[in-house]
Amino acid sequence: MADFAETIQFANKGSTGYESHHVKSDDELAEIIAEMKSSGSVLLCLFCEENLSEQYQFRLVYLFEDPETNVIRKISYETSGRGVSVAKQFPTASLYEREITDGFGILFTGSFDSRRLILHEPYPAGFHPLKKNFYNTQIKVREHIPNEELYRFKKLDGKGVSEIAVGPVHAGVIEPGHFRFSVIGEDIFNLETRFHYLHRGIEKLIEDKKPADCLKITESISGDESVANTVCFCLAAEKIAGIIPPPHADTLRGIALEMERISSLLSDCAGMLTDVAYPVGASRFMALKEECMRMNKKLFGHRFIRGYISIGGVSAEINPTGLLLLESFATNIGESVEEVYNSSITSSSVIDRLATTGIISKSLIKPLNLTGPIARASGSRRDVRINYPYGIYNHHSPDIPSYEAGDVLSRFMQKAEEIQASARYIRKIIREMPGGEVRINEPNIPDGCALAMVEGARGQNLIYLNIRNGTVWRCKIRTASFTNWLSIEHAVINNIVPDFPVINKSLNLSYAGNDL
Amino acid sequence: MRLKIKGFINKIVKRSLVERIEVPESEFERYGVMLKREIDSAFKRSIAIRQVDCGSDNSAEIEINNLNSPYYDIERFGVSFVASPRHADVLFVTGAVTHNMKYALKKVYDATPAPKFVVAIGDEACNGGIFRDSYAICGPVSAVIPVDLEIRGNPPEPADMIKGLLALMKKAGDKRQP
Repeated sequence: MADFAETIQFANKGSTGYESHHVKSDDELAEIIAEMKSSGSVLLCLFCEENLSEQYQFRLVYLFEDPETNVIRKISYETSGRGVSVAKQFPTASLYEREITDGFGILFTGSFDSRRLILHEPYPAGFHPLKKNFYNTQIKVREHIPNEELYRFKKLDGKGVSEIAVGPVHAGVIEPGHFRFSVIGEDIFNLETRFHYLHRGIEKLIEDKKPADCLKITESISGDESVANTVCFCLAAEKIAGIIPPPHADTLRGIALEMERISSLLSDCAGMLTDVAYPVGASRFMALKEECMRMNKKLFGHRFIRGYISIGGVSAEINPTGLLLLESFATNIGESVEEVYNSSITSSSVIDRLATTGIISKSLIKPLNLTGPIARASGSRRDVRINYPYGIYNHHSPDIPSYEAGDVLSRFMQKAEEIQASARYIRKIIREMPGGEVRINEPNIPDGCALAMVEGARGQNLIYLNIRNGTVWRCKIRTASFTNWLSIEHAVINNIVPDFPVINKSLNLSYAGNDL
Repeated sequence: MRLKIKGFINKIVKRSLVERIEVPESEFERYGVMLKREIDSAFKRSIAIRQVDCGSDNSAEIEINNLNSPYYDIERFGVSFVASPRHADVLFVTGAVTHNMKYALKKVYDATPAPKFVVAIGDEACNGGIFRDSYAICGPVSAVIPVDLEIRGNPPEPADMIKGLLALMKKAGDKRQP
């Protein structure tokens, strides 16, 4: 039997090695995990897939990355319904394992947390939606939940410890999630998060559809990452089909990706300034964001650039007037952001609130697989666009600013500078845009598996796609929010509760992208 | 550090950060003025909205937030967004309702004082949209709580929302007059 992991193709370039191991026993798994741990590898993703034709019913795939050498290792492990937890070595594995237990009913021995994750209490026991014997349809859920089955938060006892429960419905216009603080006086002693209120069953919904029909769903994974997630899905599908979009289409995709990044980061900067009561700066950022969205509407026909990316390229050309408008827009936005940025970081009231607040230490980056601007504000230099380039980034590299301190102020400066870097990048790629077609006709996509990564506004988004008989057999989506959310539990420690909103906003992670 | 000093000096000597933005005659402005009139008569000058996300992908939230941006500034027309359902006249509900959010949505609805109005925002909230057949969805908003008005779109743009609010206020005014 051919090793399955070998058949997963990698859509991005830049990886210096792409190795696969097929593990046959628990001991072998423990050995290789220990090796990964000692070599300083990062757990990119862990997912499960049902495989009806072979001896074992399920297959677990562990994806590791060695950040020093850019080597990616795939470890596949087959099982008929039981796994071994690796959460003690790689703490993020705990989340993936709980997700797999809910989705497939696989139990992991030795796990330190076996509570439900994606399926909350209303779902009946024994319901595992990602198994192939469940046909996707509306189900009956429980109205009454027995007391012993209610979700249990970690209880911290001690003199003067009190709990504050926040959510799922918050005070602002924002998505739902639950935060359980344990505080001593005003200082936060511990924070436990609970998400997946927005679990919409996206991974199941994508199954059994033709790849081209999935794009509407990938655009809805997270509203302000529509382009990033859809490009990621298309990269995987194109790798399986063995096609490469025309260079002209790559540039247009690059413009869409960077416009989306600018739009998302502008609202982050506005949000941080709103939360520290600096409306002069916040309104300017909000106004710029609106201008950015109007520009998207003019160029791509939609304020969130939906319906633009397609397999094999993009759906339409940007006309020459549009390009001229875009060029002057990119110049203006760079200047305007610099102006607001200078005004904000020279305001003592802003600095007072942002500096030394919510520090994420550099030592968390590897164990939690933190990516994107929040990792780069804590000293990381990694970016998928540089390390594993795709599309336009194979030809032009963007500037990647970086900061060391890891506090809210660093994240503010990081995001403001990334906006300017994206604006410069847009100007550069417009000037050197090659001519040609905007897409190639989509061929029938043969059977196969591929993995793709994209740097979204929040960090590394990853999609694994397996096509069988022309339709999606399994699609694992892991957005940057899924891993980055873990950082907030560390960032808030020893901060005061009133600073939580600005810390949360400085990370600005997607609940929808996490919950799927 | 040099950058900071430069910024500081600029702040003293150069033009202020406040900038006038041109808001051309637009659909939004026209509907805004009409909305203000309706709110004045039906709700005595202002309405308070509480937004609840029950399964949206956050694009609808972004557009609702944009209503407060300098380009729209919907508060001029007597519309404010409040932090608690207990202060709200209107609920803006987004997304097809997930099983995980159903209980919270019911609680929010019960906490809102009567008379209350519910607006479903976006295609998914109105009819389930692309998530209609998913196991994780218990249906559109109307499957869980009574809905007074639907604003469609993927997601609806600010102008669509202000049009929707205008229709809602007309409806609310009609309800008051027997």
